[in-house]
Amino acid sequence: MDKLYVLCVDDQPEVLNALENDLSDFENYLLIEVCDSGNEVLELMEQIDTEGDYTAIVIADQVMPGMTGVEVLTRIENDPRFSAVRKILLTGLATHQDTIQAINSAGLDHYIQKPWTREILNKTISKCLTEFVLDKGIEYEDLLPVLDQPVLYEALRKKG
Amino acid sequence: MKQIKLIICILVPLILLVLPASAYSLPGLTIIEQRVIAIFVFAALSWILEPIPIYATSLAIILLELILLSDKALVFLRSDSEMYGSQIAYENILHTFASPIIILFLGGFFLAMAATKYRLDVNLARVLLSPFGSNPRYVMLGVMIITAVFSMFMSNTATTAMMLSILTPVLAMMKEEDKGRIGLLLSVPVAANIGGIGTPIGTPPNAVALKYLTGDHYISFGKWMSFAVPYVVVLMGIAWLILIYSFPSGQRKLKLEVKGHFMRNRRAYVVYATFILTILLWLTDFLHGMNSYVVAMIPVTVFSVSGIITKADLRSISWDVLWLVSGGIALGLALDETGLANRLISRIDFDLMSPLVIIGAASVTAALMANFMSNTATANLLLPLMAVVGTTAGSLAGLGGSTMIILVTAIACSMGMSLPISTPPNALAFGTGMITTKQMAKPGVITAVIGLALSYVLIGILYLTGFFT
Repeated sequence: MDKLYVLCVDDQPEVLNALENDLSDFENYLLIEVCDSGNEVLELMEQIDTEGDYTAIVIADQVMPGMTGVEVLTRIENDPRFSAVRKILLTGLATHQDTIQAINSAGLDHYIQKPWTREILNKTISKCLTEFVLDKGIEYEDLLPVLDQPVLYEALRKKG
Repeated sequence: MKQIKLIICILVPLILLVLPASAYSLPGLTIIEQRVIAIFVFAALSWILEPIPIYATSLAIILLELILLSDKALVFLRSDSEMYGSQIAYENILHTFASPIIILFLGGFFLAMAATKYRLDVNLARVLLSPFGSNPRYVMLGVMIITAVFSMFMSNTATTAMMLSILTPVLAMMKEEDKGRIGLLLSVPVAANIGGIGTPIGTPPNAVALKYLTGDHYISFGKWMSFAVPYVVVLMGIAWLILIYSFPSGQRKLKLEVKGHFMRNRRAYVVYATFILTILLWLTDFLHGMNSYVVAMIPVTVFSVSGIITKADLRSISWDVLWLVSGGIALGLALDETGLANRLISRIDFDLMSPLVIIGAASVTAALMANFMSNTATANLLLPLMAVVGTTAGSLAGLGGSTMIILVTAIACSMGMSLPISTPPNALAFGTGMITTKQMAKPGVITAVIGLALSYVLIGILYLTGFFT
């Protein structure tokens, strides 16, 4: 089966640790990788793409040294290879201007406020993952336990 | 693991190909017939072990038949020897992709796609659910009836997805320890699996069965429904009782809310009218002379002409389901046209076996296989064999012959519903994480056993009423 990745990017190791921990429900179905900078996550995406696997979701913090979260997500948005990748901004420190830019230029799929709860994070990941899988036409059967049911139901219903 | 399975699927048929013909105790076996045996074994192994997607197995069957059996076979595999046997015209093999049965199914797909696109399914569900009130038992009955009716015309998977999305908010509100929640959730896949039996297009095994019900054995759409719908009604009533007694609800009241309203615009009216017209025409072939295959082209054409089904919609058609059935038809064709079927018929003496043993063995095998593999693949493998048994066993002739054994086996293919892997509706219900395998298996097994027993009663009644003569 094709491998599906969720990439988390944040400059604070403790945030990345907490994210990895909170995403443990997905461990058997997805590969969760953490990066500490925008450049690193973009490089990792290239590598995953070269190997023929998928980056399904990128979760980015806004305030980081070097590239900001919105800048990273905008680059992903503008790369046709990654048009289906679901983009999540996870931040407590985004300005009004950042948010506008995130929606208009980075094609943001979801905004999660810090501090987050495990429940909301899991729900968001599951919904984004389902949309990605349906967009890409990846076989959904093996992923059923971690998919968002209503989103999947609607897609299957439409097939008649 | 997958590699090992794939190797088995290739190696075993290869051995069967290179064995001397004398190794098979079938006197006069031709080279081509021996190849058919190898292809059949390849199909069986790869549908059971599933090293490749099941529709891919179908495509492989068709390619292998073209290369090994057809009149345009690979040149150095052909021979002038007497023992070469009769080849199949390559056109006949390729025609399986557009067999009337495939067109009938395509017609069903168009109806279902148009209905979901114009939300006819959800709106009908809303209207039909309201008379069932708020008593959890009757709400469940309503859910089951609607699921079953829809799955006769839509795929069992799409019907289950639609009904589960209606149930999701209610299931979320019900308490986790309330057994009624499990029952309500299970009622959907159970009803979808049973409901599929109701029409020739309800589920692919029925379509495969139609392939063997031609000529003197021809069964029209209406004739199929005349016995299958009563069967579905009775079995579903029993399944409902099993579910309400196994999983009594602690809830006093249950209210399903479906939002929406019927769409009122020109295209929506075209969808409603075509839907009704197609079903009426399917049921009244004796009046207008167009059989169900011809009628199936009406929704396909009307929805394309009116722009209701667009080019983008065309791309989302489940070609995998159609090709899976094509492979089954091609397998039956090879058995028949190479003469292998006749050789088996003349060679194997089923007369010694009691007809009841044959019926029981066929249906129990089908139901068991369908629990562990695709229902359609089960039908693809067993129905051509049953067609042979039906014509050979003289003892069956008095009881309805091949028509009877084909029907019993096709119904049994829909009885595979006890495990999450048995059918896509089961997988969807299990995917909610609210039920365990055991909770799914118990009502599944009981319903299947009763379903098999009922199918024997059904053919008994059909026999007594002269249906088979």
